[in-house]
Amino acid sequence: MSITDLIYLSQKSLRSNILRSILTSLGIIIGVSSVITMISIGSGARIEVEQQIERFGSNNLIVRSQSSSNRGVSMGANSVNTLTLKDMEALKEELPAIKAIAPRVSLSTQIVANGNNWLATVTGTTNDYFDLGNWKFENGRSFEEEELASGSRVAIIGKTVQKNLFDTDSPIDEVIRINKVPFTVIGLLDAKGGTAWADLDDTVIVPLKTAKQRLVAKKFPGDQIRSMTINVRSSDLLFKTEKDVDTVMRKLHKISANGNPDFVIRNYAQFLNARQESSRVMSILLATVAGISLIVGGIGIMNIMLVTVTERTKEIGVCMSVGAKKRDILLQFLIESLMISLIGGLIGIALGLGVIYGVSEYFKWKMSLDYMSIVLSFVFSSSIGIIFGFYPARKAANLNPIDALRYE
Amino acid sequence: MININSLSKEYIMGDNKLLALDNIDLSINEGDFVSIMGSSGSGKSTLMNIIGCLDVPSSGEYHFRDNNVSTLNSNKLAELRNKDIGFVFQNFNLLPRLNAQENVVLPLLYSGKNLKERNQLAIDALESVGLKDRVHHRPNQLSGGQQQRVSIARAIAGSPKLILADEPTGALDSKTGLEIMKILNDLNAKGITIVLVTHEDDIANYGSRIIKMKDGKILEDKKNVNN
Repeated sequence: MSITDLIYLSQKSLRSNILRSILTSLGIIIGVSSVITMISIGSGARIEVEQQIERFGSNNLIVRSQSSSNRGVSMGANSVNTLTLKDMEALKEELPAIKAIAPRVSLSTQIVANGNNWLATVTGTTNDYFDLGNWKFENGRSFEEEELASGSRVAIIGKTVQKNLFDTDSPIDEVIRINKVPFTVIGLLDAKGGTAWADLDDTVIVPLKTAKQRLVAKKFPGDQIRSMTINVRSSDLLFKTEKDVDTVMRKLHKISANGNPDFVIRNYAQFLNARQESSRVMSILLATVAGISLIVGGIGIMNIMLVTVTERTKEIGVCMSVGAKKRDILLQFLIESLMISLIGGLIGIALGLGVIYGVSEYFKWKMSLDYMSIVLSFVFSSSIGIIFGFYPARKAANLNPIDALRYE
Repeated sequence: MININSLSKEYIMGDNKLLALDNIDLSINEGDFVSIMGSSGSGKSTLMNIIGCLDVPSSGEYHFRDNNVSTLNSNKLAELRNKDIGFVFQNFNLLPRLNAQENVVLPLLYSGKNLKERNQLAIDALESVGLKDRVHHRPNQLSGGQQQRVSIARAIAGSPKLILADEPTGALDSKTGLEIMKILNDLNAKGITIVLVTHEDDIANYGSRIIKMKDGKILEDKKNVNN
């Protein structure tokens, strides 16, 4: 008896009881759709983390000024700039694990050019800023040493600023006014896209010295800076360096080991880990649901197949009387349970795709459809069908022809 | 064709042993039309099941053609039923989900004939029992007589040597029953051996030899003078 004949006979009997077949496969449907969703959430999170690293650079620590609370009263985040360029030089000297540090001062201000005006964040920094933040140039160049040293009025702008001031025209060599001070645009950065909370391309970057002299002289007097991005030589050293930076900074600022620091160190890897962890928890939850419903689904299939075998005892007897071997009967019932689970698998895949689409649209979660997960679902559901269908099928095959024929 | 030597069959039901067949000797030649008669519990159905290789004896020997049936495993028995034996049952035993043609094809499926060949054989068999225009009807769309003819077609589709008919007219009115008996008679005329189980005298009279059974023993075995 060929496989096509077996499939033909099986679909005949499944179709004669179509509602029951579908209800039976419900467990498989839920299980398979959970598997697909789970895998897609997991790989979505992984891809998102990779993209974030791509965007913000890996192995970076960010040190920011923080007003130390004064007798329990916080002075507000922007009130004091406690970091200085001296801190930066000291860190570089003391900690060989640090590869580079980019200092940063910033302000939010009106930019005027071309008869348009636009509110953007202006950053004063050095060329390290571009390497550490994974910034690429679409056009133009970074700062010359001479421009950094002399405080030239040159600026590099992001895509959003270009769009709002120049539309699609090239901004290179154009003059923009930042806080009424004219700057020449020398570079255009590649788009990075937005995060959930900020448009990274809405940025103007000028030399640190220029910013301090012409834009933020009052806000950041002397060698005060807002923050610094520290690039660590390797990811293994990241957490150790975070501690070392803390120690050195406390020493520089004369703050005891358990005193309130006037700076805060952000480790971006921490955030990424948290993101990965939460999607891992979600995946474990879904895997549990998937596992349980696949087992329950399998038991459901076994149950229905046992009922089917009992209902069709006489039929089995007839088949045996016309020459069906044990193997033929076994295969027929196995194929039937396999078909139930595969149909469940197919519906489950469709449902899973729907859930993935819905979640990514509605919650703006990053989901990535992995084709392996579809293959995996097929393997899962068919093995469930075979494993749980085997006992009923064997029971059918082992029937005594006489007893089966006499069964009413 | 059939050689049975001191064959017994006993069933164990709880604590009781039931001797369904008690030391039977019987031989049937190729081309015979044998009617087995007896009341219920006489052992006629048990004998028929053993002849049909559905059941195996508890003791004694049964030779079917060149096979010592008592020694065969279930696969070999299935093969014999498939190739050499056709069954016709009192209540037809057709599969309700399959149409007439598919029912007739069933034994051919198990013998591994290809699609074209088995469909042709099934249509030929249905035509020979006069159901050429009913091939796509399901059992519940057919009358009792037609259903029994489908089951005869199923029995003969694989060109068996032996047809076992267990009260083939039991569920039919007498006119339809006679039609069925005529078909069996024609098959016998073509050389197929027929063993018929019945408790009706006029049905048994179609046989060329009548065996009467009682309490698991053969009471009487004689040529049918009326035939």
